[in-house]
Amino acid sequence: MTDGTDSGAAAPRRYFISEADLRGLAADLLGAGTEVIAPVSVDACQSPSALATAACLRPGVAPVDVEYKAIGEAAELDLGRDLPVLSLKQFFLPDHEALCRWHQRGLEVTVEEVPTTFAPRVVLAAKPCDSAALAVVDEVMNWDYKDELWNGRREASTIFNLACPVIDESCFCTAVGSAPDDVKGADGLLTPIEGGYLVEATTDKGRALVAAHAQRFAAAEDPATAALVRQAVDERAAARSRVAANLEIDAESVRDWIATHFEDPLLASLAIRCNGCGACSSVCPTCHCFDIVDEEEGVGRGTRRRCWDTCQAPTFTLHASGHNPRDDQHVRYRQRINHKFSIYPLKFGEVLCTGCGRCTRVCHAGQDLVEILAEIDIAARRPGEAAAVAGTSASGDVEAAS
Amino acid sequence: MNIYQPQLALVTDAIDETPDTRTLRLEFQDEAVRESFAFKAGQFGEYSVFGAGESTFCIASPPTREGYIECSFKAVGKVTTALREVNVGDTVGFRGPYGNSFPVDDWKGKDVVFVAGGIGLAPVRCVIWNVLDRRDEFGDVTIVYGARSVADLVYKRELEDWGSRADVKMVTTVDPGGETKDWTGEVGYVTPVVEATAPKAQNAVAVLCGPPIVVKLTLPVLDKLGFADDAIFTTLENRMKCGLGKCGRCNIGPVYVCKDGPVFTAAQMKALPAEF
Repeated sequence: MTDGTDSGAAAPRRYFISEADLRGLAADLLGAGTEVIAPVSVDACQSPSALATAACLRPGVAPVDVEYKAIGEAAELDLGRDLPVLSLKQFFLPDHEALCRWHQRGLEVTVEEVPTTFAPRVVLAAKPCDSAALAVVDEVMNWDYKDELWNGRREASTIFNLACPVIDESCFCTAVGSAPDDVKGADGLLTPIEGGYLVEATTDKGRALVAAHAQRFAAAEDPATAALVRQAVDERAAARSRVAANLEIDAESVRDWIATHFEDPLLASLAIRCNGCGACSSVCPTCHCFDIVDEEEGVGRGTRRRCWDTCQAPTFTLHASGHNPRDDQHVRYRQRINHKFSIYPLKFGEVLCTGCGRCTRVCHAGQDLVEILAEIDIAARRPGEAAAVAGTSASGDVEAAS
Repeated sequence: MNIYQPQLALVTDAIDETPDTRTLRLEFQDEAVRESFAFKAGQFGEYSVFGAGESTFCIASPPTREGYIECSFKAVGKVTTALREVNVGDTVGFRGPYGNSFPVDDWKGKDVVFVAGGIGLAPVRCVIWNVLDRRDEFGDVTIVYGARSVADLVYKRELEDWGSRADVKMVTTVDPGGETKDWTGEVGYVTPVVEATAPKAQNAVAVLCGPPIVVKLTLPVLDKLGFADDAIFTTLENRMKCGLGKCGRCNIGPVYVCKDGPVFTAAQMKALPAEF
């Protein structure tokens, strides 16, 4: 699986690729029958995930969205570095997918397996927050039981990120351990430099892609390109500083404060505007909760599917008896915050958020995660508040009774 | 085969316990699975009717009875209503066993007190039979079971069986108004009946399962009788889909009921936030 680490290699090797050669690489891959996923400009009013706006009703106005798509030709590749509406999640945990199919004839039932191996594919110009999210979700998908559908798609994918210039004030990747030039969960990084891109391959898979298409890459380790490389590295550092200015929190204090302040009125007050639509979960690169449903396709046959679900829906936890442990919107919002910033870090050592800011931008009620985290951070910094949770009841270390 | 694909199981017996509660006996279709399948008392599974979906229940038969598993459920939702229609000869799906278990082996030489309300007897039944099938390894066995009415008592034949055994103290009760003319058991809620039965807490463990109100009210009574919080075991239920710690549905605070549970001690339960 891609975990963004080197396997025994030293510093990542650096290459240069021109924009024409980057498109040429995409064309080579497509020509060889490899699926290429990349940002693409789409008519915002026609896109299925469009956040249809009044602008769509005005004549002569054609708002554009960026979406990750499996491209048909290299020209579609959008290198404008805007944020795709949906994250890369959909290519690893599709919004719905078959888990198995059943057939019944008379009393006899058979169950047909679905494939768990996938054809190799390449993701170009991914947002670092989106690939980092994949590495975060890898943890739960491999918690004792291996989710082969997730792992199969991870193994089949080679991902090259494109360093992010920082989108707007809703970005906060550096506050949650990522960065606009992160390679976590990816196999390499592209950074714009004059005339093209600096290419750093950080995993075996990334290096294999470069090696297989060596004619598209030039070595970027000679003195002539040193200045350009330095410039690219400086620009990445500048982007990190820009995003850090949006939000700085002590993620460990926040984690521990939430774990020890379950009933704190602050958590309820921070949910005040949320009306539970769940759009934040759909656009989130790390939200992975799902439902499993049977879809009948005629008499005696059908497909068992998993579909995206959201903890913001009242039905998410509704018992058959009618009892609902999360019977109010503020407790459902608390679950969202708790799961991302406390439960998951305590369980897996990773924050279940990479700071992409999509939830804030998509929220029609104005729930702003940057503000919310800043408020919790302030509460957690008060003397005596950020009690260490190690050894306390809320640490998540409930040992199996057996 | 991916982790979400069920095994096929043939329904070999179906018993209507009450007007709305049914027990199904399942035998795995695949011989290798039938031979190798093993579980521990307290573990659960995902049972499915193809076309209706999956639902989560404990395995209600004991691990000491091999070759089949049983589940008992009340027909209240889409899947349980479909399961209610299932009959002998039909095929259903099963995934499991999942979750932790009751540490029955740790109870050797101790008295065991079972307290159950309504359909809460299903997971407890698995442990009762597990203990009774290894009867000489344990001390006194006390069972206190209550339901709303005589008609709502589940496992009626087994209640009689346990009641007739000299090595089991069996107390059955129904809520006031739920008794029939020929009812010979107790009349009253489970909690005061437990208090009146007063099982001794010394060198004993208690297994408690029932509707949240029964659990909530009985815990202080067990405490009063002298049971320590780590000598009281219960099994929790939350809505689940995967049963595998992936789908993110069954948290109580930081705990995943499907992976960290479903069996918890009273001490562990008291440490959980009020989200149940």
